[in-house]
Amino acid sequence: MTPATAPLGRVRLSAGRWNVAVGTIAALVAAYVIIDLGAGGEGQAQFINALTIGAIYALIALGYTMVYGIIELINFAHGDVFMVGSFVSWWLLTTLGFNGAITDPLLLGVVLAVGFVFSMGVMGIVGMVIERFAYRPLRSAPRLAPLITAIGVSFILQNLVQVGVSNSIVTTPQIIPNTTLHIGPISISAINLFIIVLAVVLMAALQLFIGRTRLGRAMRSTAIDRDAAQLMGVDINTTIALTFFIGSGLAGAAGVVQGLYFGVSVFTLGFYAGLFAFTAAVLGGIGNTTGAALGGFIIGFIQVIAAVYGYGVWSEVVVFTALVLVLVFRPTGILGQQLGERA
Amino acid sequence: MKYARVGASLAVIAVVASACSGSTASPAASAAASGAAGGAAINVKVGIELPMSGGEAPNGVPTANGVALAIDQVKVPGFNVTISQQDDAVNGVHNPQQGAKNMQTLANDPTVLFVVGPFNSNVGQAEIPVGNAAGLMQCSPANTYPGLTKEWGGVSPTTLRPTHPDKIAYVRVATTDDLQGAAGADIAFNIAKAKTAYVADDTQTYGKGLADVFATDFAKLGGTVAKRDSIPGSTTDFTSYVTALKSFNPDYVYYGGVTTSGIGLFRKQMAQQGLQTIPFGGGDGISDGSAATKSSFLQIAGPAGDQNTYSTVAATHDIPNPGALQAAYKAKFGTDPGAYSAAGYACTQVFLQALQAVAASAGSDLATLREAVRAYVADPSHSYDTVLGKFSFDANGDTTQHIISYYGYDATTQDWKFLQQRDFTAKPLF
Amino acid sequence: MTGHPTTGPATGGTKPGIRQRLSRAMSPGTAFSARHQSLTTVVTFAAIGILLPVIVLLPPFSGFGTQNDWVGGFADAGIFVLLAIGLNVVVGWAGLLDLGYAAFFAIGSYTYAYGASPFTGLHIPFWFMLPIGAFVAASFGIMLGAPTLRLRGDYLAIVTLGFGEIVPAVFLNASTLTNGTNGIVGLDQPSFGRLFGVGDFGFTNPWPYFVTILGIIAVAFMLLSRLENSRLGRAWVAIREDELAAASMGINTVTTKLLAFAIGASTAGLAGVYSASKLSIVSPDQFNFTVSFTVLAMVVLGGMGNIWGVAAGAFLIFELQSQGLKQLNTFIGGLGLPAFNLGPITVDLATINFLNYQYLLYGLALVLMMLLRPEGLFPSRRRRRELHELPDEAERGNVELSEADEVEL
Repeated sequence: MTPATAPLGRVRLSAGRWNVAVGTIAALVAAYVIIDLGAGGEGQAQFINALTIGAIYALIALGYTMVYGIIELINFAHGDVFMVGSFVSWWLLTTLGFNGAITDPLLLGVVLAVGFVFSMGVMGIVGMVIERFAYRPLRSAPRLAPLITAIGVSFILQNLVQVGVSNSIVTTPQIIPNTTLHIGPISISAINLFIIVLAVVLMAALQLFIGRTRLGRAMRSTAIDRDAAQLMGVDINTTIALTFFIGSGLAGAAGVVQGLYFGVSVFTLGFYAGLFAFTAAVLGGIGNTTGAALGGFIIGFIQVIAAVYGYGVWSEVVVFTALVLVLVFRPTGILGQQLGERA
Repeated sequence: MKYARVGASLAVIAVVASACSGSTASPAASAAASGAAGGAAINVKVGIELPMSGGEAPNGVPTANGVALAIDQVKVPGFNVTISQQDDAVNGVHNPQQGAKNMQTLANDPTVLFVVGPFNSNVGQAEIPVGNAAGLMQCSPANTYPGLTKEWGGVSPTTLRPTHPDKIAYVRVATTDDLQGAAGADIAFNIAKAKTAYVADDTQTYGKGLADVFATDFAKLGGTVAKRDSIPGSTTDFTSYVTALKSFNPDYVYYGGVTTSGIGLFRKQMAQQGLQTIPFGGGDGISDGSAATKSSFLQIAGPAGDQNTYSTVAATHDIPNPGALQAAYKAKFGTDPGAYSAAGYACTQVFLQALQAVAASAGSDLATLREAVRAYVADPSHSYDTVLGKFSFDANGDTTQHIISYYGYDATTQDWKFLQQRDFTAKPLF
Repeated sequence: MTGHPTTGPATGGTKPGIRQRLSRAMSPGTAFSARHQSLTTVVTFAAIGILLPVIVLLPPFSGFGTQNDWVGGFADAGIFVLLAIGLNVVVGWAGLLDLGYAAFFAIGSYTYAYGASPFTGLHIPFWFMLPIGAFVAASFGIMLGAPTLRLRGDYLAIVTLGFGEIVPAVFLNASTLTNGTNGIVGLDQPSFGRLFGVGDFGFTNPWPYFVTILGIIAVAFMLLSRLENSRLGRAWVAIREDELAAASMGINTVTTKLLAFAIGASTAGLAGVYSASKLSIVSPDQFNFTVSFTVLAMVVLGGMGNIWGVAAGAFLIFELQSQGLKQLNTFIGGLGLPAFNLGPITVDLATINFLNYQYLLYGLALVLMMLLRPEGLFPSRRRRRELHELPDEAERGNVELSEADEVEL
């Protein structure tokens, strides 16, 4: 096994942390200007749309990038984990008997907390089960073997939902009231604000976890060199399982957000969401959690800009063309790290 | 043609269902008569060629059940009709290659005299040449893409019939999209009194066809198309399109497509952004049941989104005894019929009536019978009494029933409410 | 982890050269077939062409369809066999992971649509379109490969995945050039008079297509198996095993990889031309992601690197998808298993509609297959050795392949 990927989490930015911050702000301003020029007076709303959808992609992309970082597997089932997560929250909310907005702030808070903890927990466990049975036995098999099982798991998840739950669109209760908040010059829906804040909080928590805790350190060391980590007393199996738990849990959170924001879910949801999120992870530099988040937002902006200028059907082509260009000119992704050469 | 019109559609069923006893041969009782009438019954089959598995099972299965119900209820003396079931879904998605192969399988079985299917128009494009070469008549319950039967977009339908350009071996009971698009424009301009419209489609054959016709006809009526957009069906995020729509400030929004492409969601997101007062229209792809029907447009759009919505259905509304088919279907299969169950039933009725008509002259040779059935159905002078009403097929193989029913949302029943119907043969838009 | 530079036999402490290891990989037993490879291929395919239609006349196969049905299915299966052996060049031999292979299939199909349909008014004969389609697809392979093949490992996989999404999206959205979602219809059928006495090409006679695709596959097989053992084939293996070492041995890695890409793409182009002519329509939704993944699954399940195994894998999976799973109801109903009682749940297999579960079963089959036999059904010698003779430690490089291990192969 080659010395694989660079550490999860922390970007090595000893000299460039400020550059990234300045670059991000400059990019946001540029994106805003581009959107505003085409949006016919709706620039601010479109900018918020882009941030919101970008936040969802970012949450999914984190799982891709973490798994890739630690076992170099493109986990094609991850998009479907997100999809199943949206069904778990659909099941929970409809079982609890909600069918619309909850106006009591206290109850809303409790239901949201329960919903997120439950869905994230369930999906985390699902992720660990998938890892245990479909990927772990293949850790030393040829590289394509787990990729094929990942595809197989993706089929299985889709079909379990399709046959067992619904073969069409289900409607999820949108429990957050549809109110618009006015903060200074900014008008933003409660739901959009909630999603953006939630994504940022989850991502910050993840960074802290990976950067500051023992388990996070175990994950980083396993990603750098599994054997060395093992020699240093890291329990590899537990660490990888934990990675799947966290990554899938974040996808579960994205699934809840999907239900709250769009109010629907469908068993085919995972494919394109997964594909775009995966692209986001690569754009940002796969194996790099900050990069995955950045990539998610970039894809959100690309989609919104394409829609604003009336080229919505081309957004997929634009996203993938951007991907090819980034990889050709900056093969490690925007914030990238060295990918392991295929061993 | 519809990509996927999922879910049972009470509205459509109410429209299309009619007395099963209205068909020529009377049910059940005649089964006994047949034995007495002509000695040993001839074993023949009707092929069903639909997507039956995976995500498209909701399209194919209820339609195939409609065929099975018709076979069950309507007997032709002297014949023992059974079903040869084919599935054109591979890995859960309709597949033209599999469709063409199934059609060959059916054509190679001499006892198959007629085929009901396909569901998807690109499968139809692959199957029509096969049926044409084999002289095997096929009746699609669901294809609405005009190009399958008539010149469309500069392509002649004879390119689909290279073997025998003059022999029709494909008919359909659904009215083509060009009329529904015209009906949509009629509603927007004359009922909703809109002057400017935002027109979108889901990039699929059915949706794009509808939206294109709508845009052309709406402009011809004197309206202005503020924006013509296409939205990929792979997303559930329509927010940026809806926000963009706001800046055009249209009087009307027309969206060509099907509920599974997310049209209900588009309407719901319009409501979330406070745009539910703008009237919204679509074709029969969104006319798929009341707000209580699972996964229907009205359910997904939600109470706010349902306001001011219109849809069209390519069938007549005035049918006596509309509940009979639904009741019989439910008794046999335990569920409500799907959107195309009645169309599948009607296709089968066309076959059975043709078979009865040619039985005396064609004798018992299967090849002769197959060609006789094909020639009978292709002949525009014949007409059929079906659950969809009385109609015949024109020289292209299209139904002569050019009636479009208009529906609007009714808040008290939370369902589509019949507004009026327009016969485009008697009263064309232009 | 397809091998590792340090897994070679130790000869006095020095690592053996790539060539040395490669020549050893070809065991003496293959000498005859290596020398008379083309002849063997022709004879084998002639035998397949005669045996397959005969076998399906026997039970249990005869119960599932007539001979014509089966032959029609084989004529379609051939498309995937061709695609799989083409992808095997890229993935199995050169070790480049291509997740967007359907793009080249699409390009081949649309090339035929432009060359032989009323859409353009051109009616170039099928037999000329075959090389044209292969050439066009290969050109796109080179166009995509030239800037991206410098990328290593999984980045290439991702770029190809993107390309595989872009191509159908362009065919869908550039509707003035491609007729968009409705596709291009009325493509010419091949014509060859009465080919080999099996009748005209037509929509109802599968035999000419069966013979044609068998011929195309046989020719592709001959060319590809010769390539496998040529200087170029050895260079591919060298790159797959260790690109750095290969480069330092004087192999031009970029050109070599480009050739693998171009040859793989041209095979897909051939499949595209044949498929388009047989179906007589092309539309963008025939070339989605599922096709790429199905072909990849065929390659891996068949046994990556082994051209015969890959072909067999493609054939079996195709038949499983288009025939086997669709017959499950009949099959399980026919077994007459008694309903069994699981406490509160009674399961009667005869009443379950397995059609609903076919995709699920396919997914389960993929997972189980990989867990139980990750090297595929018919693995190449090299791969089997990597996986079984030398478990686990091999990749860490601390166990050396002994001569005894070699002989047993």
